[in-house]
Amino acid sequence: MRRWLGLGFLVASGLCALAVLAVLSIALAEIIGRGMPALDLAFFTRPSAGAGYEGGVLFEIAGTLILIGTALAASLPLAIGLALAATIYLPRPSLRRTALSALYSANAVPSVLIGIGGFVVFVHGFGWGKSWLGGGLLLGLMILPAEAVALIERIEALPRRYLDAAYGLGLSRGQVARSVVLRQSLGGLFSGALLGLARAAGETAPILFAAAVFSGAGIPRGLKESPVLALPYHIFVLAQDSFSPAGERHLWGAALVLLVLVASLSLIALPARLRAHEESRHG
Amino acid sequence: MSFAAERLAAGAERRGRRPDALRLAAFGFSAIAIAAFAGLIAVFAFEAWPFFRAQGLTGLFGVRWSFRSERFGALPMIYGSLAVSLVAVALAAPIGLGAAVFLSEVLPRRARIAAKVGVELLAGIPSVVYGLLGVLLLRDAVARLLRPFDPISGDTLATGGLLLAVMILPTVVSLGDDALAAVPRGQRQAARALGLGRAETILRAVVPAALPGLGSALLLGLGRALGETIAVFLVIGRQDNQWPERLLALEPLARAGQTVTSKLGGSETFLAYGDPTHWGALLALGLLLLAVVAALSFAGSWVSLRKVPRA
Repeated sequence: MRRWLGLGFLVASGLCALAVLAVLSIALAEIIGRGMPALDLAFFTRPSAGAGYEGGVLFEIAGTLILIGTALAASLPLAIGLALAATIYLPRPSLRRTALSALYSANAVPSVLIGIGGFVVFVHGFGWGKSWLGGGLLLGLMILPAEAVALIERIEALPRRYLDAAYGLGLSRGQVARSVVLRQSLGGLFSGALLGLARAAGETAPILFAAAVFSGAGIPRGLKESPVLALPYHIFVLAQDSFSPAGERHLWGAALVLLVLVASLSLIALPARLRAHEESRHG
Repeated sequence: MSFAAERLAAGAERRGRRPDALRLAAFGFSAIAIAAFAGLIAVFAFEAWPFFRAQGLTGLFGVRWSFRSERFGALPMIYGSLAVSLVAVALAAPIGLGAAVFLSEVLPRRARIAAKVGVELLAGIPSVVYGLLGVLLLRDAVARLLRPFDPISGDTLATGGLLLAVMILPTVVSLGDDALAAVPRGQRQAARALGLGRAETILRAVVPAALPGLGSALLLGLGRALGETIAVFLVIGRQDNQWPERLLALEPLARAGQTVTSKLGGSETFLAYGDPTHWGALLALGLLLLAVVAALSFAGSWVSLRKVPRA
């Protein structure tokens, strides 16, 4: 009896895992299956047309790349600073826990609130109107905590003996930070950056009020009143309309392009990030 | 470098402490990052102030929102947010934690990493794509499923909850797995040595030791569900003032509703700017959301960052 109950429990946990796998497969199969028919060369090389349902998504892709590039440029130096401060310069363990908890909380700030904050500060306060720069900075703020956490985990996974050897050679903290910690965790920097790009590419809410428009924008030439198109915003607007079958095809195509962009960015660095995550916890 | 600066640097060198530019940069950039988030909170507090001055905190706790008559009762939205999030956690908790047990305790290490890649992939699907799946697939399915309750359409609180359950599933699985994997091997071995079976070891030794971490996985999932905007926005119907007659009844879940986030993400936010009280009411709602989500995730991560004693 005991044995059967135990077996039942293990089987039940396996069924739960199977359910998660099923959800993932269904979601991926639907998006890929319905999106593929829309994809051809013209989908990538032509701007959207009609009511947004026709043509390609050229400028939506361009806008998204501009936004995530800006976000990365704005957030990466800050993330490196936070990670070094938390690992090298703040060595007290109690502070470490507070700092990490604060980063997790910052990471959980609802993205719509970041969007509204940008609406107040950039759109009205600075008078930028809708601008790619405002959107990029907001996305940067959005991905900053996750980048910092990825980097911190990588640094904490460094073998303790590296640091011991460096300090043993009489290097100062700055020298250790520069030549050992940063040098050895370049991989973490890289994977943190890719993770940030992937998250920024898919976000809609931060650019809702401060950066994105649905049509009538190409490559921005200035700063003020220079909005961009963006893939997630394109999908968000079209999903609220009622559609024709042709429109639906376009919509799934755009979703597939976004998914491939996000997945390829995050998958490149995933194995290294998972390993660092495991080691920083259980090293 | 000026002569004076050179002298300074040389002096510092002799004492073995050079001015550390990297340290300055690290703290400087950290300060900018912290100031940005502090600034966000300050902006919300500042912009919400006119509303608090006019109506006080209690102004939010009515059941009627009608900005033309300056009534900003947000209880129906708070109810909506809690309803969809609790549905999501109720669905994601058993499945997610069950899957976490399987990943951490049953799968061999290699397969576990592969499974985690799948979980991360699920976490990486953008919320607008989840929203699209909700609009084009889930909505009709839910409308069929809820037919006994006679819903007007598939845009219901239940649809939002179901979609959110899928969206927080990766958080629950991944953090649950972390919590279980952090339990020292020695505790498992001791339990097995005492004659407990494999499942009994998990239930009586591993899960109790991991309980705080498992709880924090659920807290962080709940925080994520409360803050999610775009996907919920697309499937919830965005119907104001849906205050249920009985709070704990299930029927209201089959109706359209509004959450705090779907309100903030909607066009009313554009319209309200310029009217200090109306705008202030929306920002006050945002401040409330921010406080709740930040508290949940701080508590959740504080627990899960606890150092597990090694056995």
